Amino acid sequence: MRPAISRFSAQFFSAYGMLGVLLLLCVYFTFATYRDEPATGAAGASALAASLERAPGTTAHVVIVSQNDDEENEFVTALQQELQTRGFPPPEVAQGDPPTVREKLESLARAGTPVDVVATSPACRTWPLFDAVKSTIPALAHIEVRAPEGGRRSAFLSRSNLNNIADQIAVIAVMAIGMTLVMVTGGIDLSVGSLVALSAVVTAWLIGAWGGMNASPGAMLLASLAGILLAGAVGGFSALMITVFRIPPFIATLAMMQVGSGLAFIVTKGESLYDIPVSFTWLGRGTGLGALPNSVLLMIVLYVLAHLLMTRTVTGRYIYAVGGNAQAARFGGVNVNYPLAFVYVVSGLMAGLGGVITASQLKAGAPTYGLGYELYVIAAAVVGGTSLSGGEGRIFGTLIGAFIIAVIRNGMNLMNVESYTQKVVLGLVILGAVLLDMLRRRRRT
Amino acid sequence: MKKLWMIACAGLMATLAGCNQQAGDNSASAGGAASNTTAASAPTQKGAIGVSLLTMENPFFKDIGNAMQDEAAKSGYSVIVTAGEKDPARQRDQVNDFIVKKVSAIVLSPCDSKAIGTAIQAANKAGIPVFTADIASMDKTAKVVAHVATDNYEGGKLAGKAMIEALGGKGKIAIIDHPEVESGIMRTKGFKETIAGAKGIQVVAQLPGGGARDLSFKVAQDILEKNPDLNGIFAINDPSALGTVAALEKAGRLSKVKVIGFDGQLEAKQAIKEGKIFADSIQFPDKIGRTVVQSIVKYMGGEKVPSQVLIPTSLYHKADAEKDPALKSKTS
Repeated sequence: MRPAISRFSAQFFSAYGMLGVLLLLCVYFTFATYRDEPATGAAGASALAASLERAPGTTAHVVIVSQNDDEENEFVTALQQELQTRGFPPPEVAQGDPPTVREKLESLARAGTPVDVVATSPACRTWPLFDAVKSTIPALAHIEVRAPEGGRRSAFLSRSNLNNIADQIAVIAVMAIGMTLVMVTGGIDLSVGSLVALSAVVTAWLIGAWGGMNASPGAMLLASLAGILLAGAVGGFSALMITVFRIPPFIATLAMMQVGSGLAFIVTKGESLYDIPVSFTWLGRGTGLGALPNSVLLMIVLYVLAHLLMTRTVTGRYIYAVGGNAQAARFGGVNVNYPLAFVYVVSGLMAGLGGVITASQLKAGAPTYGLGYELYVIAAAVVGGTSLSGGEGRIFGTLIGAFIIAVIRNGMNLMNVESYTQKVVLGLVILGAVLLDMLRRRRRT
Repeated sequence: MKKLWMIACAGLMATLAGCNQQAGDNSASAGGAASNTTAASAPTQKGAIGVSLLTMENPFFKDIGNAMQDEAAKSGYSVIVTAGEKDPARQRDQVNDFIVKKVSAIVLSPCDSKAIGTAIQAANKAGIPVFTADIASMDKTAKVVAHVATDNYEGGKLAGKAMIEALGGKGKIAIIDHPEVESGIMRTKGFKETIAGAKGIQVVAQLPGGGARDLSFKVAQDILEKNPDLNGIFAINDPSALGTVAALEKAGRLSKVKVIGFDGQLEAKQAIKEGKIFADSIQFPDKIGRTVVQSIVKYMGGEKVPSQVLIPTSLYHKADAEKDPALKSKTS
């Protein structure tokens, strides 16, 4: 009985242990970034209106101060209505950046309009201009500055931040699919970072050549495909070197890393290309189903497909077989070269797609993209449980690995941990993951 | 196995908790201010300024960051300094994190003048004002409140003046430039315009050194090989100037060829003290950092700020180096 339980728990933790770590991290950052944050928009407006009614009496002359975006407009409209129903005199509105607001306040003072209370949105609460106005304009010396109060919220667990995390990791996660396949065969692909740059600049360059700012969706699609296929072709070239000429993957892809980066600089002459229509940002910045960013939706689809490939198809089984024991696979009748070539082409294609997503997110293609990404991608796969010596690795493990890295990075940014410390922590996480992997292996044998 | 996981998790949490210590102080003071908002007239904590610089490997940007922290502390702002480390996508992520954090203002030294556009637009949309330091954004659709940088054109003119002075208005010179970046172009432009005024000076070579020490070393070697009667070299930044000095030392021509540099990094100042570089047109990263923060404070206080502020350079000779306290401590 006991051995059965311990075997089950060993399996459970090896499969989902990293998921546990991810959840723990999320819980930790949720509480660590818990802070005072007053309600914004209409909710903030009604809270503020209620507190104004309680305090200085309903005869107060109010000036509403806010910025100009949608949420802030909602705040202004809601507050105007709330104040009206509560019997306040019709409030003045000063909207815009600090200089505009100050000008408005000064012109109100000049015109002799009575002002008792400045009601600001939470975003404008800390503007020092109110103090400045009070001390320089006698007519405004007595004003009271009020903003919505109360409310506590975790910066980490906000919807916008969760989207932010997924959006930040989409490129690395997509590339990590290819890397996982490569690593399962016992290889490694160091060229992926350069291929991001190459694909991004080729795509941007073709869009520029095929209409620039007025490029049609078809032209943009073709340009993106060309970028992705070129990266896939470079992956195919690596595969040729590895399978036919038996060059070790580390060396072959190291060479292609240099070639890819050099080509990206040649295409652009070292500059960034930005002759791209705004509609090209649909992939990187648009949102689709359930308000998820399109790049994240694409990532999810690719992970499901890759999972099916690795668990349900002959190709998937060959890939595991080659990594587990190439000799045995060969004797078993597997043409070892086919799965090997396949994984490097896929890795190239995924890196190419990563480049297109990056170009779309930044609305420009530059040869400096993807710098050092190979390390993050390898880290995602390794943290997710893919073995560096081949034969082992789960696609969804890699996704979890990618998210662990993204969550740590984002969480530390939200907690104001400076970038030197971040590097140390990330390095230790990777080391810890590999250490666990080795210990697990030793127990089994 | 279970134990192992627990140890690993505990270790990770402990590391992160350790990191949180330093951040804890900030959030505590911010929380204190927020709970005082009931009709508070003067909150001590005015919010945070998020900064993403080009790279922390270059001391120039580190100086900008440090100066911003000093200056901001005076007026009640805290500063969060990060760097994109030349990766435009990473810089965009940092800006997005600043937006989630709801900082009061963002300062950028773009890793890519064009690709930074989408990040600035995101900040614009969230109502957070954006300022740039040293490197400008070239995206016309993204709104930047103000740009603060070195006046590279005037700095190039000063370097030209130093060259005329070094050669007594007569001789053959070479330029090691870096036309890939705008600052390099402006420096060379200012330099050449001034040199054109001295009829006795002739530019015999102008080659790119990538702004880097190793590349400039090789380029300087080629130039020296081809021009045995060369009298002077202008290198558009200090790494280039130091690479040039190395080439001159190797060729044994340090006494015959005068070098003019640009930047004012410590190592170059030391070389000026030792007479290896004739003079530098030096920049003031601390002034850039301070001026950016002053612009932010003014802007948030409702004043109009100029959309571009150029910080002048000044010439730094051997006499300045001998009086420089930063160098005295190095040599003693």
